[in-house]
Amino acid sequence: MQIKPIISYSGSCPLFRSLEAQILNAIPLDTCEWRRTFHRPTKHVRLDAQTQQFDIKALEKYKQGEWSILEHPILYIFVTECNFDSYKATIREEIHAWLKLLTSYGVSDWMILLVETLDMRKTKNILPRTTVLDKIRLDFCSKNDDRCISVLSPAKFEQKSTESFRCLLQRIRFLMLTSYNRNIAQYQELIRSKREKRNHDGWDFRQYFFMQEDLALVYEKLELPTEALIQYDELDAMFSQFITHTGFSDKQKWLTYFQMPLRSFHGICLSRADKFEVRNKIREEGGISILEFRNYLFERQAHLLYQCNDIPEIAKRLLNFLFSTLREVEFIKLDCQEGALWCWEFVCALEVLQMCELAMDPRNEVTCFQHCAPIWNLAKDKLYALGKLCGLLPGCKPTSEQLHIVVQLSSAIGDVPADQQQQFLNATPQLRERSPNRKPKKSAAEQLKEALGSNEAFKKLYLELAELAISTYKHVSQLRFARLAGLDLGNFYCALNEPHKAVGFFTDLLRELKAENWHSLSSQTLLELANCYRKMGDSLAYTKICSSISCCAELEILVRTFYFDEFLKSLKTLKTTLSAQPSMENANYCVLEDHFRILDIEVLNKKPIIQDDFVMLQLKVESLYPREILAESIKLCYEIQTEPAQASLQDVPLSKTTLLAKSSLSYINASLQLSYKQDNTLASASVACETPKKSQPVRRTNSTKRKLLPSVQADFTNFVQAENVILQPGPNTIELKAKATRVGRWQFEQICIIMSSLEFLSEQLPYTPSFEICTKPATAVLDFKTLVAGIIQPITLKVAGGSFIFPPDAKITLKCSKNLRIRSALDKKNPEFDDDATFGTLLQVPLLEFKSFEERNIPLQVLTDMPGRKGTKHHEHYISLCCPWSRTELQIPIEFKPAMEASCRLHTCGTQKFLQVIMKGLDANLFLQDAKVKCDVPGVRLIDMNPPSPEPINIYKPLTVTYLYEIQVEPLKTEQELPIVKVHFVIKYAHEAQPKVWRNFGCAFDLVDYTTLFKVQAQLEPNELCRVRSVCNMNLKITKVQENPYNDLMYEVLNDQNLWAVCGRSAGVVSMQDVDSHSISLDVMPLSTGFLPMPSIRLSKYTAGGKNKNDAHSKVYPFPPGQVYNSTKSVQIHVIASVNVEQ
Amino acid sequence: MAFCIAIIGKDNAPLYLVTSDVEKELDLQYRVHAALDVVEEKCQLLGKGAPETKELYLGLLYSTETHKIYGFVTNSKIKFIIVIDSSNVALRENEVRAMFRNLHILWNDAVCNPFYIPGEQLNSKKFDRAVQKLMSGNV
Repeated sequence: MQIKPIISYSGSCPLFRSLEAQILNAIPLDTCEWRRTFHRPTKHVRLDAQTQQFDIKALEKYKQGEWSILEHPILYIFVTECNFDSYKATIREEIHAWLKLLTSYGVSDWMILLVETLDMRKTKNILPRTTVLDKIRLDFCSKNDDRCISVLSPAKFEQKSTESFRCLLQRIRFLMLTSYNRNIAQYQELIRSKREKRNHDGWDFRQYFFMQEDLALVYEKLELPTEALIQYDELDAMFSQFITHTGFSDKQKWLTYFQMPLRSFHGICLSRADKFEVRNKIREEGGISILEFRNYLFERQAHLLYQCNDIPEIAKRLLNFLFSTLREVEFIKLDCQEGALWCWEFVCALEVLQMCELAMDPRNEVTCFQHCAPIWNLAKDKLYALGKLCGLLPGCKPTSEQLHIVVQLSSAIGDVPADQQQQFLNATPQLRERSPNRKPKKSAAEQLKEALGSNEAFKKLYLELAELAISTYKHVSQLRFARLAGLDLGNFYCALNEPHKAVGFFTDLLRELKAENWHSLSSQTLLELANCYRKMGDSLAYTKICSSISCCAELEILVRTFYFDEFLKSLKTLKTTLSAQPSMENANYCVLEDHFRILDIEVLNKKPIIQDDFVMLQLKVESLYPREILAESIKLCYEIQTEPAQASLQDVPLSKTTLLAKSSLSYINASLQLSYKQDNTLASASVACETPKKSQPVRRTNSTKRKLLPSVQADFTNFVQAENVILQPGPNTIELKAKATRVGRWQFEQICIIMSSLEFLSEQLPYTPSFEICTKPATAVLDFKTLVAGIIQPITLKVAGGSFIFPPDAKITLKCSKNLRIRSALDKKNPEFDDDATFGTLLQVPLLEFKSFEERNIPLQVLTDMPGRKGTKHHEHYISLCCPWSRTELQIPIEFKPAMEASCRLHTCGTQKFLQVIMKGLDANLFLQDAKVKCDVPGVRLIDMNPPSPEPINIYKPLTVTYLYEIQVEPLKTEQELPIVKVHFVIKYAHEAQPKVWRNFGCAFDLVDYTTLFKVQAQLEPNELCRVRSVCNMNLKITKVQENPYNDLMYEVLNDQNLWAVCGRSAGVVSMQDVDSHSISLDVMPLSTGFLPMPSIRLSKYTAGGKNKNDAHSKVYPFPPGQVYNSTKSVQIHVIASVNVEQ
Repeated sequence: MAFCIAIIGKDNAPLYLVTSDVEKELDLQYRVHAALDVVEEKCQLLGKGAPETKELYLGLLYSTETHKIYGFVTNSKIKFIIVIDSSNVALRENEVRAMFRNLHILWNDAVCNPFYIPGEQLNSKKFDRAVQKLMSGNV
């Protein structure tokens, strides 16, 4: 069937026929601009044409509105070759009649062609006044003179005619297009009116279909495929509408036409050579089924889309086409052989895919693939369904009945004639040859037939399709679809008994499903996997999968317990398998979260854990197994915390609250922002969150993605452990412990539950509590205030335990230096309090039940002897501590102040000597009693001159107590014999706190120079009366009492210058050599009245200078107090006022 | 009317899924899961548009011989997926749209429950009843 615009000719038909070939050939040679109505874009159109002799019947139809735009002549040409005379005679009338006829049918697309045979000889000289053309124009084309054109007969004027001929062609093209404008509009109007009548009786869809399709064909011819497509789409929609919505009533009798039983199931064929083969069949009565009709429609649409270069759209439309057609077949209630429609779908799908593949444009490859992927999948599914029907699945053998089905189906699929393949597609240059070595593809129908032919071919094709479907899905990153297709393929492999190939697909699917928490689906996949592994004999994987399945809450309890038993069974056999395959490292890891749920982790140790102590941990874990199970070991590893903890948790017990604080670190850093108005009222409150990095916006991570295999095993060098724990289904509380070895702040990282050779590793702990292991040295110090010697003094031993762990019998040994004694503190009421024997130099202080970090104050008492030393010097002692945590002794210096002090003085009275002992109270309140002196030197006697006192004498800080003794030295004993007399003074004292305990205080005094050598006497004269300011005579008498080596003596009068004035020399030197006494007379004058003390005399040893070379100067040495006795020392002189006061 | 109504969280985990036919549940779940691919694809395209003009209704995600699968995504990336019998040609797209709108309202009411933890599966008898009604088409 040819679709070419028809040009109708009349007039001189033989003449036209002579030109016809030339015209028809020339028309397509050039394009013509088509100005379209309604401001549609102008277009350059290349036209084609055919001719037809003028036929009045067609016009009759046109008038009745039963015309087709295809069959209707688009241009009416009247051809004539006439001279002036013949025109006038006949032609004019002819044209007139022709035009009248045309106008009566409403046709205005006409043209008058005048073929001129210009007689050169005639026209050489005479210029004709009017030509025939002018005449015709004047007669007929007064309004549109372009419809009349003359042309030089090309047969006679070959050269000259060219120009006029081109004009003619242009005019013809232009007029054809103008005619189309009008005709299309008219035709559309006609279609519309037809469509309005669609519910009338006797309306036939087929008629309407051809009518509208004619328009589409015209559009296609005019290179407007999109508009042609619109016509087909309208027809498509209308048809669907009829089938699905209107239902079958008497009105739509034409529908019965499409109810023809389905005998053949030819798929679409996009490479059909004769496009209108089916169109013709539709026209025939009872020649086409709904499937064929639909096929035709789709083929036409596809063809037009191909013209538009919109191949993805073909793929996109395919599925909808298939599904809607299926639905229509169902609606019409056509019975057909089982599987036939699958065949049809399959062939259609493959046909489109082949087309896409061949015509793939790299620019829209992805969009094309996007639509291709589901088609591949569909083809795969259909093939599988067919295989199932025909017994071609792996492990099946087609029965004779099934073979019969195959034969029937194969014949129904139909063949594509070999010669017409590829023609349609190869014609277009844009097709790419994918690979030169590639064999030309077999047609879809052939492929299907081949696949249905044998199990092997079926398998091959199915695998190919499945792989293509999966890879195409992956290519367009529709992973979930790809996994779903993979599931089918995996099942197929399982049926093929090649589970190792299936495992990959199932695992991929499982990963995808688990990652998104589709539990019920993932548990199904687990079941598939378990099947595979069992077939493969991979006991390790099988064990793991069984374990996972038994923990799937979505599954039936029977299934779970079955797999739980399987799990236990194969777990036992696993050990040998594992050791046989050492290369499979980490293969025995399982994801803990699939089997257990960690509910809580709590450190039981309240305080910071001391080094070498046990870390106790309570783990609450929910077992998902259906029954109880024995875990050989549960470990929870901890790692040292690198970054410093936010808050110092030192003194905070590791309880829940701190856990929360700790875990809150992972929350985003949100802060409260309050903005105030000027009057300090709140304007707004908001929560702000600063994003740490611009490039990384805040992401919510409240749901964790789950993995198939644990990624890493954490460092399990430090862990808490519990062994052989039976885990009941549901929550379990387990205590784990470990020895705290290293100091630091630790954080829990990972849980590992070991069952036989399987290790269940946790991915992420819900809580990561931290704990601290620390160490602190133990210390012991002595604490005391000012200590006083001689009485019981309190002292405190302070022991701080630190992190040291004390053995139950720990003790501290205190060792005292000499004269220091110590005891544990006793209460005053204790009868032993007063017993000094309880003091010892060595004391062991037991540290009973001493705990780490305990601090204990142990009261002690020390007592030291009061040494009889003079002076207020501190007594230094020390105590050595021997502690259980240290091997070295610790020496603590300790100082005591004396409680009292004793000193002695020697007094002289003539030759009599007296010893005065002065007790000075210092830091304590004491009682004194039983003072005694002892002198062991023979010939020396001490006479106690103190009054006997029954009561003890109280002595305290500023108070002094004096004891007096006379010393009598036997006269025979000279000082030379006894230069030193040692005297011991002993006294008993008691502290006011212990009035009954009398301790001894002893002090030794050395007496030297105790013999009186000289005696000094002074006398004033006149003795009775001394008057102020009158000179008196003072006689000094120095007497030698004892023979001694001091010859030269110096005397000085030491007087108060307010009381006495010495007249003349106040000092002098006398020599006592060979004389016993010396008298010196001095003049002195009292300066005031009253009882004045005698001016005191000092006597000194004198060494004259210059006697030898060593000492050139004279020297004076004082006598010690015992050697000179001044007998008039304290004598007072009564000075009375002078008589001659008036003077 | 509808075979399956599924509500899927922002991280693609199912929050609520109900099917009219228990036997087909697994198959439908697989379909719903796969539909997420298309949802993601469409969301990517939508994401480029201005947020105000964002259309929550995603339209037909894909269809099979028996099912038509429609999608809807809320502003908080909760996806609603409704699987409809494809042989039911009487069902117009507007009706599907209305179903989604109703489902959205129901969902909003359900998650407003202070005892519901966002991101967890929804368990609510009231919601169940309402969804059942929605599925059978008598809202």
